[in-house]
Amino acid sequence: MPSATGKEFLQPNSHQEVVELLVKHGERALVVGGGTFLHGLLARGVLHDLDVLIDLQKVGLSYVKHERDVFSIGATTTFAELAASERVQNRPELGALLDALQYPPAQIRNMATVGGCVASATPLFDLPVAFMVLDSSVRAVGPKGAREIGLHKFYLDYFEHVLERTELLTEILVPRQLSRSASAFLKLETNANDLALLNVAVRVALDDKGTCRDVRVVVGGGIGKVPVRAVSCEDVLKGQQPTLALLKESGNVVSFDIHPVSDFRTSAKYRSTVAKVFVRRALLRALDRLGVHLDEPS
Amino acid sequence: MKKIINLDINGQSQEVTVAPHQTLLQVLRDELGLLGTKKGCDTGGCGCCTVQVDGKAMYSCMIFAMSAQGKKITTVEGLAESAVLDPVQQAFIETGAVQCGYCTCGMIMTIKAYLSSNNSRVPSDLEARQAIAGNLCRCTGYQKIVDAIRLAATRRIATGSQKG
Amino acid sequence: MSETSIIGTSVLRPDAYDKVIGGRGFPVNVRLPGMLHGKLLRSPYPHARILRIDTSKAERLPGVRAVLVPSEVPKKKFHPVFFSPGMAASMIPDMLILSDTVRFAGEPVAAVAATSPEIAEEALELIHVDYEQLPFVLDPEATMKPGAPQIHQHAPNNIAMAPAFAFGDLQRGFEEADYIFENTYQTQRVHTCYMEPRVCVVDSDTFGNLTVWSSTQHLFGLREKLASALDIPVSKVRVVRPPYIGGGFGGKLDIGFIEPISALLSMKTRRPVRIEHTRYEDFITTARNPFKVVLKTGVKKDGTFVARSAKSILDTGAHATHGAVVLMVHGMYGFLLPYRCPNSKWEGFTVYTNNMIGGGFRGYGVPQAAFAVESQIDEICEKLQLDPIEFRLKNSHSEGQPHPFEPSFKLDTYRFADCLKQGAAQIGWSGGRSRGKGAGTKRRGIGLACQPLWVSGCVGFPDIYEHSGAVIKLNTDGTADLSMATIDMGSGQTTTLSQVAAAELGVPAEAVRMTYADTETVPFDAPSHASRVTYSAGNAAKAAAGAAKKRLFDVAGPMLKTTPDNLETGGGWVYVKGATDKKLSIADVVKQAESPYVRMVPDGMQRTSLQEKGTVMGIASLAPAANPSPATAEFVEVEVDTETGEVKVLRVVYAHDIGRVINPAGAEGQVEGGFQQGMGYALMENLVFDQDNGACLAADFLSYKMPTALEMPPEIKSVFIESNEPTGPFGAKSLSEPCAIVPAPAIANAIYDAIGVRIRELPITPEKILAALGKLSE
Repeated sequence: MPSATGKEFLQPNSHQEVVELLVKHGERALVVGGGTFLHGLLARGVLHDLDVLIDLQKVGLSYVKHERDVFSIGATTTFAELAASERVQNRPELGALLDALQYPPAQIRNMATVGGCVASATPLFDLPVAFMVLDSSVRAVGPKGAREIGLHKFYLDYFEHVLERTELLTEILVPRQLSRSASAFLKLETNANDLALLNVAVRVALDDKGTCRDVRVVVGGGIGKVPVRAVSCEDVLKGQQPTLALLKESGNVVSFDIHPVSDFRTSAKYRSTVAKVFVRRALLRALDRLGVHLDEPS
Repeated sequence: MKKIINLDINGQSQEVTVAPHQTLLQVLRDELGLLGTKKGCDTGGCGCCTVQVDGKAMYSCMIFAMSAQGKKITTVEGLAESAVLDPVQQAFIETGAVQCGYCTCGMIMTIKAYLSSNNSRVPSDLEARQAIAGNLCRCTGYQKIVDAIRLAATRRIATGSQKG
Repeated sequence: MSETSIIGTSVLRPDAYDKVIGGRGFPVNVRLPGMLHGKLLRSPYPHARILRIDTSKAERLPGVRAVLVPSEVPKKKFHPVFFSPGMAASMIPDMLILSDTVRFAGEPVAAVAATSPEIAEEALELIHVDYEQLPFVLDPEATMKPGAPQIHQHAPNNIAMAPAFAFGDLQRGFEEADYIFENTYQTQRVHTCYMEPRVCVVDSDTFGNLTVWSSTQHLFGLREKLASALDIPVSKVRVVRPPYIGGGFGGKLDIGFIEPISALLSMKTRRPVRIEHTRYEDFITTARNPFKVVLKTGVKKDGTFVARSAKSILDTGAHATHGAVVLMVHGMYGFLLPYRCPNSKWEGFTVYTNNMIGGGFRGYGVPQAAFAVESQIDEICEKLQLDPIEFRLKNSHSEGQPHPFEPSFKLDTYRFADCLKQGAAQIGWSGGRSRGKGAGTKRRGIGLACQPLWVSGCVGFPDIYEHSGAVIKLNTDGTADLSMATIDMGSGQTTTLSQVAAAELGVPAEAVRMTYADTETVPFDAPSHASRVTYSAGNAAKAAAGAAKKRLFDVAGPMLKTTPDNLETGGGWVYVKGATDKKLSIADVVKQAESPYVRMVPDGMQRTSLQEKGTVMGIASLAPAANPSPATAEFVEVEVDTETGEVKVLRVVYAHDIGRVINPAGAEGQVEGGFQQGMGYALMENLVFDQDNGACLAADFLSYKMPTALEMPPEIKSVFIESNEPTGPFGAKSLSEPCAIVPAPAIANAIYDAIGVRIRELPITPEKILAALGKLSE
């Protein structure tokens, strides 16, 4: 636990103020959303030199808006608020998001923020993978102004993203999805309060003949430094009529795209093996949401 | 730098001096003498520290006390009205859901929050288990806790009560 | 109100009310004025010598009141295990409170007491330690090889002990066998995961008398071991009984480092000192020991055991702690005793490594054995096409025979067969080998595992002191105060003992209150362990209540104008036998006993008898008369996802010969909680360490996986068979450990039934299942 001296807890009222504080305090400051991730690090003694905590709850970033077909989700929106938002419910194209939001226990859902989750740059988290499969981007503000970065370009390494220390992530933007789209998300975990051993998000868009006109597959969890877009899986299905055999093939080629790691939780081989199964199952679920039922023999 | 802040705990305004990194759990236990909220792991993994913040279940070990200002905090001490137990507390006693009791208060706070926002019908076995997925218990195997959830929900619906 | 309205009733726990409104009675809540906070500095290295410790900066930090280093602690080595007296020959005293040689990553090297936990923590960072790192060994077989680092001077080849037992003629037995099975089994290190951390407050006075509050499973053991570690007389240590503790499961059956360190800091500062473990510290200081078990079993084709041999290696870590006794219980109750076999041999090894130290954990060496034995039996039955129930019955003990371990005892009640039959009927067992072989990705199977022999306490065990005591006093309001050193760690000890005392006294269950006790005011009671409290402590509570009742009759006899032996009690009343209208309330009888010898009455003074005056009370201090065995069979149905290897438990039926159920809800609660622990052991729990540096990788609940409510099956059915054990209180014998022992092999056998693969290593992870199915691919 850090020492009791020389620490400040600030609650600015706007994101501009936050930026000013980040500029002023530099490396000594960190923003706090829900605090769940930060606390985990503090309790494990990983964050020692933190002097200034900047609490974001008053900067007005808790919202879910839907304007001109773009969803913008404020960075301090909690998981529970997002899951409960009428704007995102009953939309098969956003299924991956709602699937991902079901996994954590109630306490985490009530506390953790969407912005905090995305900004943590932990490949073991779920929401970033779901957002990525929806081609989302983040909006950030800094001393030089605001910018928008696609999530697929946002992550660099474990705990590392492209933002400067003086920039604040303010929004996640989920663009308009193609018509007749559905997405799904699956997480492999050992018990109900766990980081993903592996997770998979997929999105499928069908044309009026039932052909896949667009497919996205993103894999996260212990598969590398950042979530990976599994293009090989996508290529198997693009332009094709989905069949069980094709789904299975799409799953099988995921091993070309991911480089799982072995850690104390499980091995790379196991992650590889299940990735194939999960890609297939996630695709089945997404197609199911579009009314395409490819029933497997049980 | 320590600061004097006011926290709304169980409907009462409490003045307390806190440091920026101090958690709500620490402040409840060490500054305010509210010992019902327990520390089981201090890393948001066990649920023993669960309190309600504006009616929502949260891990108090992961809340900076300073950020709890302006919110309504409810701890287990705020449930029973004098001698009358909250229905969830009562159900816990009756179904045998209390063994060592260390997880009990956190469980009750989680369950109360869940039942308050899921009050139209008795939860299924699966729903009840999902509700407490963030609370660990090593003694009971959860079976009688699930029984208590469904008993409390049944009674609530039977009495048409908004409480509990 | 007869005894049966209390015994066999799910009387509400008297402490449940307190626990649901906040639970003040936990040791973690003890606060004393002027209390200081202690923290321990722990070695980052698994094996090292301390060359130099510089505490000067720490001592100067404002708020720091004392620092403790190895040079200041007593030099006499001790063993920390509560239930074995210090002089016991089989125990291994190899610990110091602080040592200048550290033998596991996390062993304490210094301690600080300060005015707040934060300042104490900050002070730790100001202590400078120069370590000389030494070669270390983490593998329990490598540790025995020549050239391995020597961990303790007294143990060549790092073997702490190596007992062996043999009966009959093993070689001839194998020659007579029609089939021989040889298999190796491996179990992992798991953590007890009691939810209340280890915590203590120790206060001292100017004479060096200590008062101790601790989250502990044994008052008298803590007293004795603390005195031993500090090298002071036991009379200088008083341990206060907490109303309850937040779980123990065997993990609080030894003196931690915290009590002696807290004591020394208290004596130094002349203030009370509190030390609470962080969850990380708990994870790295107690565990169930990992075992390797090699079984060689010879059977006739009809399933009769003719030869059984086993070799067991227990990794006890840096210090022996429980490793000596766990090994013996494992060998005896895990391997040699549960079934009959004319020719047997067992060799055990407790070996030192630079891994973390271990402790007790429900089952105490036998979960590891049962995993091996019960899995192999399943394998034997499969190969020989024998029914797993008939096989076990063929080789089992019988009711009425001498106890296989202590021949002066008899298996007066022994309903193993009933457990098997009733359990099988409940789950719908059809021999278990034709299921789960269908097509599709999810397969189901049912498995069976048993613990045919267990203990009710430790009478008959060498070097374990089994004894119980109770004091009960009746009050003028008809209630009774029961005072016992027995710890309630959540399993309902207080409730059970109150029920037993109430039933014996003849008062309502709520009329008996478990009250204050400490090591100065009550007779000895052994720890809450070894499934002993209902049977052993229950017998003491019953005897004390019986003595109080006898005294009650002495007073009531003259009041009811009859002889004391012509009375009985029930529902709070004293009755003349056969004339229930001739009665007095117990309260009135007690009032009489506590009234003046001479009373003023309207027409003068009335004299009563001096004989029937005084506190109506009873005291008992006794060892149990026997060590009756329950018996257990568990049937588990699982579903395996053959694409991911994930296992779901669908149904559980647990059958147990319990003698007599004292509290049904409490008994079910033991079975359900035991299943959570056994299932976690079977499928997910694993306390893993970095093999390069001994650091713990799974020391929080995110990394260490134990079952939540969602992983548990929706249904666990308990079947209790009441055989009415004559030596038990109201016929009861024990319950709580077998239900944590059998889940792992039952699950392993169910997995075999579902998918046809045997996994002989715990935990059975999804990865191991896919590997066994040949399905792991790049």
